[in-house]
Amino acid sequence: MMKRTHKYFPILPVLVAYGALLGYGLFFPGKWQLVSQLAFYCTLGQAFNLFMGMTGYVDFGYVAFMGVGTYGMAISIYHLNEKGLGLSIILIGLSLAVAFSIILSLAVGAVALRLRGAYFAIATIGVNEGFRFLIEGARIWNGSEGIIFTRHMKKAFGKPAAMAIGTFWADIMMFGVAVLAAVLTLVYMRNKVGYALTALREDEDAAKVMGINVTKYKIIAFITSAALAGLLGATAWALKLQYVYPTDVFEIHYTVEAIIIVLLGGAGTLLGPIVGGLIYGISKYYLSIVLPGFQLLIFAPLIVAIIVLFPEGTVGILKKKVINTPLQKFII
Amino acid sequence: MPLLVCKNVTKRFGGLVAVDDMSFTVKHGEMMAIVGPNGAGKTTMFNLINGVFPADEGTIHFEGVDVTGFPAFKRAHLGMGRTFQIPRPFSSATVQENIAIGAMFGSAGSEISVDEAMDVADHYIGLIGLSGHRDKPAGGLTPIEKKLVEIARALAMKPKLLLMDEAMAGMNPRDIDEMVAFIKKIRETEGIAIVAMVEHIMRAVAGLAERVIVMHQGALLVDEPTKEALTDPRVIEVYLGQPAEEFDA
Amino acid sequence: MLFEQLAGNLVQGLVLGAVYGMATMGLSLIFGVLQVVNVGHGAFIMVGAFTSLMMFQAMGIPPILAIPAAFLIGMALGMLFYFGAVKPLVSPSGSGIKKMTPKRLGAAAGMFVGLMILMWISSGFFSLNIAIYLFVGIIFLYGFALYIYGGRRQDKAPELATLLATFSCGVILEEVVKQVFTSEARGFNWDIGKIDIGITVLPYTKLVAAFGSLAIAVILYMWFNKTRAGMAMRSVVEDDVGARVCGVDVDWQYALSFSLGIGLTVTSGVLLTMFIPVGINPYMGGPYTLKAFVIAVLGGLSSPYGAFFGGVVFGLLENGSYTLFANIQGLEPFAMTRFFSFVMLLVILLIRPTGLLRAK
Repeated sequence: MMKRTHKYFPILPVLVAYGALLGYGLFFPGKWQLVSQLAFYCTLGQAFNLFMGMTGYVDFGYVAFMGVGTYGMAISIYHLNEKGLGLSIILIGLSLAVAFSIILSLAVGAVALRLRGAYFAIATIGVNEGFRFLIEGARIWNGSEGIIFTRHMKKAFGKPAAMAIGTFWADIMMFGVAVLAAVLTLVYMRNKVGYALTALREDEDAAKVMGINVTKYKIIAFITSAALAGLLGATAWALKLQYVYPTDVFEIHYTVEAIIIVLLGGAGTLLGPIVGGLIYGISKYYLSIVLPGFQLLIFAPLIVAIIVLFPEGTVGILKKKVINTPLQKFII
Repeated sequence: MPLLVCKNVTKRFGGLVAVDDMSFTVKHGEMMAIVGPNGAGKTTMFNLINGVFPADEGTIHFEGVDVTGFPAFKRAHLGMGRTFQIPRPFSSATVQENIAIGAMFGSAGSEISVDEAMDVADHYIGLIGLSGHRDKPAGGLTPIEKKLVEIARALAMKPKLLLMDEAMAGMNPRDIDEMVAFIKKIRETEGIAIVAMVEHIMRAVAGLAERVIVMHQGALLVDEPTKEALTDPRVIEVYLGQPAEEFDA
Repeated sequence: MLFEQLAGNLVQGLVLGAVYGMATMGLSLIFGVLQVVNVGHGAFIMVGAFTSLMMFQAMGIPPILAIPAAFLIGMALGMLFYFGAVKPLVSPSGSGIKKMTPKRLGAAAGMFVGLMILMWISSGFFSLNIAIYLFVGIIFLYGFALYIYGGRRQDKAPELATLLATFSCGVILEEVVKQVFTSEARGFNWDIGKIDIGITVLPYTKLVAAFGSLAIAVILYMWFNKTRAGMAMRSVVEDDVGARVCGVDVDWQYALSFSLGIGLTVTSGVLLTMFIPVGINPYMGGPYTLKAFVIAVLGGLSSPYGAFFGGVVFGLLENGSYTLFANIQGLEPFAMTRFFSFVMLLVILLIRPTGLLRAK
């Protein structure tokens, strides 16, 4: 029933959503803060969904990948700012961010991905903490003092450009990461990778017997998800904030938020993380005005409710409702 | 060259010997059944052949290749297909997707694309008569329909050796006859080299198998053509618990 | 000099390890019976710590006597979280969706209003704000939805689900405690003297904690092996289908074991405060969750006794490594010890995920 050309239609609602969000932010510059926050959550959700949503494994140490990505960019700017490389430092920073997160994910994956469900979760809980304590304990990259590189940004790009990057272009790059994450998700879903992941998520033993090398596909999803997290850290944290502390960037809080967003929207779907990111971001924004500091108190029981009663999430439920309607092609 | 050679295969779980020094051979195109009372180790034997878990002792050769240390997915690529006693379709995937997954990752998988796999799936959907359910999530099917999907998925892998674990379990006699006819048909039309089944149901065994291996407490009891096995006093004793002579005709 | 330092630290580690071990027994019990990893483990330890703190500060009760209270609180919390979050995932009733009759809706609405009024009345005693009302409202709605939709699912949820559910339960505990007690770190001082054994000084409180942990472990052992109730629970670990056939009410055993596990965990929080009576805050549980996992994997994820021994070993290793790192230039020993425990975890998971010590 699905024509070959229609396979990639589902990217359209994604582009519409991000386009609308971006447009809103451009037309109402006063709301840019909110827009960038929302985009952050959507991107976080999409990147995390690529692993948790599609494989069904929970990586409790996920934020570590964002953390090393942030360091990748920070280090590039900190050390290369006087080489007169101009904006290509950013490219170097991004590459380093991706490289760091891929290396870390390979190291973690080599051990953890051989383990099943609960053992995997246990192993990853330690990654986050472990890596942060390594940085602090061995005083790597300045240890717990972190790296502050506002000065270095100004030296590298000139004061006005540095400011523009921090307040605007970093967010635009983040939108780019968001779209990249969505495209990768869709590409995986429409190719053998996606089907292998679905199979291993549903029933890992049956998948093996069907000829699926589950470890290989888990690693692919894990590395991709980690690399995207690295890019997110490099743009949304490093370029925007222009400082990095281990206590900040390895904060498990972000992994919790990622979990909430993916579950809320619908794990394993393409649109889910976007829907989840918007709902969570908007709720958090308004909650922080009315009731600061309470969002976890509200969201934690909601998570339990979703897991127990509506595990398929918002988009999951939506998918069922649009079967046999023209919207079916677009909502996955 | 034989298709499958098992030599001295043994598997222990703690103190229990589930499979005890099993040795047998299966030829290309042969249809064979492994039977035995409950707990005889039949499904464990299947799991060992398939690679679900490794054997403690012994070797397994598939088309001359020593697969003893191979993981399950590698054995699948070489041409082993499997259905489970209780069907395990991928619930959230559609019927078509389920079967296509078999095609995508089975022995011919590396050569075909996702779209081609979908076409292959359609062919098998027609074969099992579930065309109306093509886009339904497999989780919502009846047990019999799930069983058919499971078989189609295994067939789509283009296996040379198809291991069917208790395919007839829970069926009434008429369904069994239909399934027997179906298996005969796929053997001819699909050129499936061999179907090995684990079965309690003698009706099916008699209808399909050319040769029977009887397992008892993990070990090989008899390995002979079906007709002889069904009347072999050792076999009767193992099923009925006492020598055949003690029964009235 | 180094040897003395090491020996002293090892003794401290031994004593602390007993407490660590006791703290992990609940985790292992729950995994052994239900195959559920309680990722919110540390939060329950925190509850125990606060119980100890409150009973000492508000009522002058020394921690050793707070143990029974903590245990009961733990059992109650365990039952609550089991029926609310774990059971629907692990052993669902599958009886289908209940109809929303006017009678049911009316009863629910009535209870909801009653609850709100109750809260409003008690707002004279506690400081309640709109967030707490919202929270209670959500919990109530969830309970009602669970009642109506709880029977929808027929089979066990994927492992991911219980991990996230227990994790969220931990978060809920942390946030509720934060609301009531604020995130300020508190402590208390229970000083009953100390003993000097040459290589190190041990306050009696630490000794009491260690022996208390040992005592509880022994009691648990006797309970499992000598009482009918305990053996019923063990039977479920061995083979839940077989146990069912023998007439064991497996579902109730699940509830009981989960609650027992939580009870043990909360109790261990009290014992912990005998060791470290400071830094008590809603988020203190995190590091202990990781330590508990390392210990559980060390000792065998499903064996409570293995967990105890694992704890002792861990305590020794932790303090030993601290001495080592403290003597290497350029390293920050506290952080490095934490890193070391993580490395231990990975190494053990690699070579023997079922645990190094297979105690029964």
